Amino acid sequence: MNALLEINNLKHAFEKKKFVLKDINLEIYSGEIISILGPSGCGKTTLLRIIAGLEKPTDGIIKINNNIISNKQYSMPPEKRNIGLVVQERALFPHLNVLKNVTFGIQGLKERNDIALNYLKLFKVDQLKNKYPHEVSGGEQQRVALARAMAPNPNILLLDEPFNALDDELKSELHNETKKIFKEKGATVLIVSHNKEEAHFFSDRLITINNGKIS
Amino acid sequence: MVRMSTLSSWMSLPYLIVFLFLLPVVIVLSSLFGDWSENWVHLYNYVLFDYVSNSTGLIIGVSILVLLIGTVTAWTICNYNFHGKSFFEWALILPLSIPPYILAYTFTGLFDTYGTANNIARDLFNLDHSFILFPNVRNIFGAITIFSFTLYPYVYLVSRSAFLNQSQSMLEAGRMLGLNKIQIFYKLGLPIIRPALIGGLMLVIMETLSDFGAVDHFAVPTFTTGIFRTWYGMYDLNTAMQLASFLLLFIGIFITLERFSRKKAKYSSGSSTFKPAKLIQLSGIKSCIAFLVCFLPIFIGFIVPVSELAIWAYQHNLDFFDDKFINITVNTITLAIIAALLCACFALLVNFSIRFKKNTLSILSNSLLSMGYAVPGLILAVGIVQLFTWIDRSLLINTENVLTGSLVGLIFAYVIKSYALANSTFESGFERISLSIDDSARTLKSSGWNLLKRVHFPLLKTSFLTSALLVISEVVKELPATLILRPFNFDTLAVSTYIYAAEERMIQASAPAIAIVIVGLIPIIILTKMIKSSRPTK
Repeated sequence: MNALLEINNLKHAFEKKKFVLKDINLEIYSGEIISILGPSGCGKTTLLRIIAGLEKPTDGIIKINNNIISNKQYSMPPEKRNIGLVVQERALFPHLNVLKNVTFGIQGLKERNDIALNYLKLFKVDQLKNKYPHEVSGGEQQRVALARAMAPNPNILLLDEPFNALDDELKSELHNETKKIFKEKGATVLIVSHNKEEAHFFSDRLITINNGKIS
Repeated sequence: MVRMSTLSSWMSLPYLIVFLFLLPVVIVLSSLFGDWSENWVHLYNYVLFDYVSNSTGLIIGVSILVLLIGTVTAWTICNYNFHGKSFFEWALILPLSIPPYILAYTFTGLFDTYGTANNIARDLFNLDHSFILFPNVRNIFGAITIFSFTLYPYVYLVSRSAFLNQSQSMLEAGRMLGLNKIQIFYKLGLPIIRPALIGGLMLVIMETLSDFGAVDHFAVPTFTTGIFRTWYGMYDLNTAMQLASFLLLFIGIFITLERFSRKKAKYSSGSSTFKPAKLIQLSGIKSCIAFLVCFLPIFIGFIVPVSELAIWAYQHNLDFFDDKFINITVNTITLAIIAALLCACFALLVNFSIRFKKNTLSILSNSLLSMGYAVPGLILAVGIVQLFTWIDRSLLINTENVLTGSLVGLIFAYVIKSYALANSTFESGFERISLSIDDSARTLKSSGWNLLKRVHFPLLKTSFLTSALLVISEVVKELPATLILRPFNFDTLAVSTYIYAAEERMIQASAPAIAIVIVGLIPIIILTKMIKSSRPTK
């Protein structure tokens, strides 16, 4: 079975010789949910940003479905990678309502509203479709952000501490629902977390990064 | 860090704009490599120290006053409810429609020994005709007052916009940590809006350094009056251009220092989790104080000069309002709108490009573009005339003066001179958009034009409108460049005012001066309403 995402000998330094990531090798298979654990500043978020195409790695090869999307000479821009991203601060577009936020990434599709509404229903926020981000709660914003990232049916979904800003009760509720949806949809997910419990709950496989290396 | 692996070809457009903008300035700067005339000995021995010390004194005095007026009024408007607040919210930018030179003329008319104010005081208190109650305003302190009360709206506008985007939770956190209301203002409110504040202050300083009319009227020798006198008094254009070059270099150092300090303190709020500030209701004496804080700047910067102009206009018959006057007004408005749209589009593109391709060259380019604001109008005009003459002679050999003496040169000058206004507004606007918004958009297949059109432009509508307002108001008032570059028989309101004022016919000058104020008011009123409706609470 071929890996959906393959990372070979990935290295990254923001300044010369100061490597945050050293020799990362990783394979993720379709439908897998993987959590990356590690202390603050270990390079977890940087790895996610490199996979998304928001950072260009110093060295190494990244492949999706056996196609090279990044190497030393070339880096496919993020808009062409079909990778979903959800960050802790949600980053919803404040000038668009909930429905338009979710249809943002599927503009070319005729059935975009139906797709968006389906995802909003899955995450139980379809009744908020006409509200603006500042009119909904933090938990609801996170549900919308997840729906928006999943709507374009990405190859892989990257979640950067997505539940960090939520209270425990809400977090637990969202954990259960989100995992169920990921499994139902067969989504391939890579979650960055510093919460061991959360990582264990979500993942099929756990990876720890220490000193820029997978241990 | 590379935010975009491939740079779309359209992104090179800003560099073309930089190239075009720089040409007239380079022509002026090239004078430094030409001959140095004997007039420099005279300048050095007698006037250069005055130019430097007065220009510095003006900057310091005006900066302190505009920061005080602009931030205190903006904070009051954004955090308190009091009698007249909704009026003051837009009325505080009214002085923006009064050019400093018009305020200078009216202040002289009011406060001279036998001016309106002293005459009224003598009549009221039955005093001797030699008694002087109000001091002479024709000095550096008068000039500081004039600039401060006409230019504080630049600081008010950016401060208000930034205060409106401050989160209530942050202010509440300050209160919980033991800060009182005043400490919240100067320990939290002000430091957090520092980048926007510095942007607004930069505009004020550049406007102050570029002005000629007011300092000349008050007989305060500065760099600009020096440039004018060297040109018209000594008939030495090259030395005048060399003086202008030193002024440009001085401003260049200032802009670089400002950019450096701003880079160290970049703040942006997560707009999705934004919680707007809750207004505190004031009553009694506190409401009166808030009322006075907002009323005084409008009274000094707008009500007083407009009243004086209205009295002068009343003394003049209404013959002025004929077809010629309408033509002049139409000319002025048309030019202002074209320049405003061009400036806003250029500033949007350049800042968008810099957001994705932030390097020393792009930041330097933007700093150079902003320096156009500080180039004295006449010197900029000379640069453009020389450039256009060269193009007409070298590239358009078969035709006669296509560019020289055309409206293209005039609009070109307006755009170069007003670009800093638009740029400052867009810089602050872009800083308020979190970079994670861009990251999300890009993973959702939106980049380049698409990202600009669907995400940034809708979020920057207020910046677009604010920049248009600032540019229109600037162009309507612009005088020296218009005088030099206007096509034959093409007048604007500012030119008309200048011609009357130069002949000491202030009563006649009052009609076009009032028209300048009115034209400057239209976009202020419309745009303020639109800015109000864009409050994050709605």
